[in-house]
Amino acid sequence: MYVLGIESTAHTFGAGVVKDGKILSNERDTYKPKQGGIIPNEAAHHHYMLAPEIIRRSLKKANVSMDKIDIFAVSQGPGLMPCLRVGYQISRFLSDKFNKKIIGVNHCIAHIEIARRSTGLMDPVMLYVSGGNTQVITYENGRYIVFGETQDIGVGNMIDKIGRKMGIPFPAGPIIEDLSKKGKNYIKLPYSIKGMDVSFSGMETFVSRLLNTKKKEDLCFSIQETAFAMLIEASERAMAYCKKESLVITGGVAGNDRLNEMGRIMCKERGAKFVRMEKEFSGDNGAMIAYTGYLMRDYETMDVTPLPTYRTDAVEIKYR
Amino acid sequence: MKKLSSGAEAILYEDGDVVIKYRKKKSYRIKEIDEPIRYHRTKAEFQALKRCNETGINVPSPIKISKEGDKLYMSKIDGKQMDYSFSLSNMSQIGEMVASMHTEGVIHGDLTTANILINRSGAVIIDFGLSYFSRKDEDRATDIAMLKSALRSRHPKEAEDAYRLFIASYRKRLGKEFKGVETHLKDIERRRRYHENG
Repeated sequence: MYVLGIESTAHTFGAGVVKDGKILSNERDTYKPKQGGIIPNEAAHHHYMLAPEIIRRSLKKANVSMDKIDIFAVSQGPGLMPCLRVGYQISRFLSDKFNKKIIGVNHCIAHIEIARRSTGLMDPVMLYVSGGNTQVITYENGRYIVFGETQDIGVGNMIDKIGRKMGIPFPAGPIIEDLSKKGKNYIKLPYSIKGMDVSFSGMETFVSRLLNTKKKEDLCFSIQETAFAMLIEASERAMAYCKKESLVITGGVAGNDRLNEMGRIMCKERGAKFVRMEKEFSGDNGAMIAYTGYLMRDYETMDVTPLPTYRTDAVEIKYR
Repeated sequence: MKKLSSGAEAILYEDGDVVIKYRKKKSYRIKEIDEPIRYHRTKAEFQALKRCNETGINVPSPIKISKEGDKLYMSKIDGKQMDYSFSLSNMSQIGEMVASMHTEGVIHGDLTTANILINRSGAVIIDFGLSYFSRKDEDRATDIAMLKSALRSRHPKEAEDAYRLFIASYRKRLGKEFKGVETHLKDIERRRRYHENG
């Protein structure tokens, strides 16, 4: 059984093909604003322009033709409406044209499922960290439950916003990571953990005020150390409370070495397991949508209208 | 000294009638972050326990803080963690306790069923490491929202009934001030990134 997955919730347009659960291809392209943050309509335009080529490349790599696809899976949300609409229209068109099943996939759950597959951990606590999302997720009674989350902005968004003020283009994460390796002096920043939740907008404001007086390297070092310590503490709380013995970190920010190192140390100290995600599947991609669509293959045909605020815990998990 | 238990944040030791809570060093955090957090939380816990204890709210009584600042000495409390012995029958009492605590100006900061002990005399609230003093409606609402999501994630089947019992008695005990808290409760759910109503 072939599944074509389409991802278009935010910056990235991706298409991937999965055959019987095995990933055959994973093609993508990411919109990068010339300046400032994401402009949803511009991102959507990027997706419309590149979609045919990326889908074609994905099929070619998987060595399959469009008429052999059994299920079209689309990332239904959460995300930005103009971007979501691209994936929606394309997958609707294809499923109508070839008269095949279409499945709407929750973007956050796709991150979780590809992380479980990538690490082989069956029932971990998941720290899902990206530009828009920051959630600590556990599985309980047929649902993925958001145990803790950001009360304001995502950690990646905080990093991008500060990066922009430092003159670093999107995505700022990798450059901030490099700069932080040269930082030596820790500058005290707000450590904002509220039980199971975290918050980052205070840190963003605080750092913005220091940009002219402190060294970039020291600020980047301090941002990473503080923000990631908060995330790892929240993850540990979830592990202790929900009695889970392992952790995976997924989402765009999961590409950061220091965050993974902290996760590994925390798990080691509490005798839990930590496996680092393959970088190819941690950021937004089409393969994770195809793979989750494959897991959901027996779900009944559904309405796949975009859901910009689709919550992780809204989906009933029938395949676990 | 006997080791009682080892949680996410601290190790508990028992020495006769006294419990010693030692906040462990966390190697994933740099020293500059880790040490102030551990000292600050130990102190915050001592102060909150003191205030609650003085006003008759069921919590362990604090004794002292170690010289180094990372150990808290308090009275021993028997009981089972509520997440292991969950019962709806305790929820009304917990609602009253939390309301009294809030009236005293104490915000718990980490209100989960793992931080409530159940024994013959009822519920005992523990683990005040993330607590602080505030009388703001918003901070009170944050406490309640936390308990609500803890109920949902750990006790999904009973969560709704449990919350209803809790909030009814909380509202009754807090009286007029509840209105402001309620407004903020709704606001917190709306502020979370993806809430049910879009």
